[in-house]
Amino acid sequence: MTIQEQMRKGTTTVIILNLLAELDRPMYGYEIIKELEARSQGYFRFQEGLIYPRLHDLEREGLLRSKWQGQEGSRRRKFYTITDAGRHRLEEELRGWRAFYKHVNLLLGVKMAP
Amino acid sequence: MTEIDHLMARLRAQMDLDGETEQEVLAEIRDHLEEALAEARAEGLDEAEALAQAAARFGLEEEIGQELQTTHVGWGTAEAVIAAGLPVVGALILRWLAFAPDGTALGWPQLLSRPAFWIVALAALLIPLLKFERWRYALVAWIIFWGLTVIFVTWPALRW
Repeated sequence: MTIQEQMRKGTTTVIILNLLAELDRPMYGYEIIKELEARSQGYFRFQEGLIYPRLHDLEREGLLRSKWQGQEGSRRRKFYTITDAGRHRLEEELRGWRAFYKHVNLLLGVKMAP
Repeated sequence: MTEIDHLMARLRAQMDLDGETEQEVLAEIRDHLEEALAEARAEGLDEAEALAQAAARFGLEEEIGQELQTTHVGWGTAEAVIAAGLPVVGALILRWLAFAPDGTALGWPQLLSRPAFWIVALAALLIPLLKFERWRYALVAWIIFWGLTVIFVTWPALRW
């Protein structure tokens, strides 16, 4: 896996967890993508299909829980919610991100707002 | 066959998952594409443009199909290990349940009156159900459990 692929995978994971923790309600894949695009003012335009392997990975790790909603015959959707384990992982990931950017900014001489 | 059907077929060609998992993955993605298509139509695009936009934003089905395969193939392996292990564990527990300490086999009335038997029976049903959230797996484990029970009670000479 290339560095870019690893970064993309890691970034997507923390962004998804953060969104679901912040909104604290079940969301489905398309809705998650649209919300992330809107929040990033279009800067992050995902290759939409790639969100599903990430969602399924997170579910597999127990960081998300999913539930199908809707009746047979009508539109059925798979909704995801964050678990307690997901919230703990998010805290860890955010700590890691802050430390990473702080030190990269130090190396690059970028002044951060206090 | 619609363009979405073609896209789904190409995606499916990249995956080799068990039927139920594949069905769920494809249902989720079809829902995504249908919503993307409806949104593109609502933006005023004609049918061909809407399909092209939905497909382009979704991404390359080869790459996504391979990622989905990678994600889910591990599940199948874990499930297979557990599925292979459950009957072995079940057989050992049943052997302990179905035979008295002196080695004589219990009959149906004695076995069915033991709370431990029903605890194991419920566990055989609920553990696969809670673990995999699939009734199919739970019922298979349940059938194996009862099959082994019948064998132990009917043919006590099978004691080992």
